[in-house]
Amino acid sequence: MMEKITTLEKASRLVRSGSSIAIGGFTVYRKPMAFVRQLLRDDVRDLTLLGWSSGIDVDMLAGAGGLRRVEVSYVGLDFLGLAPSYRRAVENGELQVIEYTELTSAARFKAGSMGMTFFPAKSLFGSDVLKHNPDIREFKCPFTGEMFHAVPAAKPDVTILHAPMADVYGNVVYLPTSNRNIEWDIPMAECAGKVVVTVEKIVDYNYVLSAPLLVKIPRFKVDAVVELPYGAHPTDHDSYYKMDKEHLRIYAEASRSPEAFKRYLDEYVYGPSDHWEYMEKVGGIKRMMKLRPAGG
Amino acid sequence: MKRYAKDYTIEELMATIISREMKKSRNGFIGTGTGGRTYTLAVGIPLAGMSLTRMTTNPDMAILFSYKVNPVIEEMPSPDSLTSPHELMNWRCEANLAYDAIFMMAMRGEIDVGFGSAAQIDKFGNANIVAIGNYKKPKIRLIGCIFQTEHFALFNREILLLDHERRNFVEKVDFISGVGYLEGGDSRREAGLRRGGPDKIITNLAVLGFDEKTKRVKVVSLHPGVKPKMVQENTGFELAIPRDVPRTEPPTVEEVELLRTKIDPRHIMLGPS
Repeated sequence: MMEKITTLEKASRLVRSGSSIAIGGFTVYRKPMAFVRQLLRDDVRDLTLLGWSSGIDVDMLAGAGGLRRVEVSYVGLDFLGLAPSYRRAVENGELQVIEYTELTSAARFKAGSMGMTFFPAKSLFGSDVLKHNPDIREFKCPFTGEMFHAVPAAKPDVTILHAPMADVYGNVVYLPTSNRNIEWDIPMAECAGKVVVTVEKIVDYNYVLSAPLLVKIPRFKVDAVVELPYGAHPTDHDSYYKMDKEHLRIYAEASRSPEAFKRYLDEYVYGPSDHWEYMEKVGGIKRMMKLRPAGG
Repeated sequence: MKRYAKDYTIEELMATIISREMKKSRNGFIGTGTGGRTYTLAVGIPLAGMSLTRMTTNPDMAILFSYKVNPVIEEMPSPDSLTSPHELMNWRCEANLAYDAIFMMAMRGEIDVGFGSAAQIDKFGNANIVAIGNYKKPKIRLIGCIFQTEHFALFNREILLLDHERRNFVEKVDFISGVGYLEGGDSRREAGLRRGGPDKIITNLAVLGFDEKTKRVKVVSLHPGVKPKMVQENTGFELAIPRDVPRTEPPTVEEVELLRTKIDPRHIMLGPS
């Protein structure tokens, strides 16, 4: 069987300037941040980002000038409020936002995973989403005559996820304790052209054979797997580590001005040559021990 | 006879109003919300209020807290752990539903009441959490529609909690992310929405509702000690205030006792007192 395991540097080449990408996780939870930092180091530009409830991933890409267009229902830093770099990019007219609602932005991935061209929405009537999103069309139900809105299916070139575990062949394992928002990681992978998954740990093929119920994405949907412990830092990863609130506050403060943000990127993104140097920079294993969640 | 409490906070009063609103409701949905004051308004107060409903008048009602059904309120984790999905998952409850199960429940029309807040609300109950100013060149880009549009379109009714300030209550919202009664009258229905919509707006000064015909925001009751002038001064549009406007019923001694000793002894939901 073909091995999908590779390095971060090689996996990130699947994303090119002008690609459309989808990033899994939720706001500041289980975001594949090591991969996002690599995209910045690669200086990828003009990306279209498809998401539902996005967060620091979009803010960082927006602040570094990597995005041309986002199709989302939310961009924010969760408990820290608005996403400053994203906000600045939109207010300056440098970043195009295609508005969706939470249900429609997420259901677009499901429509894509079903091989359909659209999702039928009934929550958009009267809203200004219809005024500003040119991709949505009204249609009539052939059975009842009711009107609905067709929301285009999401078909990203590349989907990037961070997950607990995978084997070298790309069978991706989520845990029963993984946050329930993994429900959207799965269709996000299913509807994509290519799928990259970064994981806390590579497990043996025999682990997968003994725990097949935990495999939520089978190897034939996955193109690259990279083993990156703490790859979601500074965001939360369920039972593995809590979000690094101190670092997130440093990030949010830096994101408020272009100058401070550039200094942040120099220090934490462009400075470290790889994920391991980044991990040392943010406090190493000693810091990570402090992020263990209560309750084991 | 009811014994009313003499000493209570505004958050306790707001929770009590919600508790009474939910007396006959099947369920109420709360998002996980954001930090600070928005958290208290959109998450903390509704969670405390619905817990009070379940303990007093309507034990059958289901609290839908994001994907959690009826979490055991006495065992709520610390405020810090609300940003830890691991601890939220471990918080005992009747069910940890899938995220998409909540979305489909909304589409089937099975969510009764939603709770939320907004940056702007206008005289016809339209809400905005997307952008302030001209949409194409916004003064402030906010978070985006998130689940608000579905709350207003698919739930049986929406209850909003806002701080009563002029900048929040505007003549016309800059972006309609939560569809209220649009231009008033029948315009919501004509736009294609056959059900739901905003029902009450609970503020620190009053309970607001909507005129049955015109669909304009009106005062339902003024909180104890609040003068009509005070409410109008803090509202950016002309408010209908009936001459014999009632007073909001204060919390009873028993309700305050339950809120303080059983529901929120650590002041997580209702803020520090």
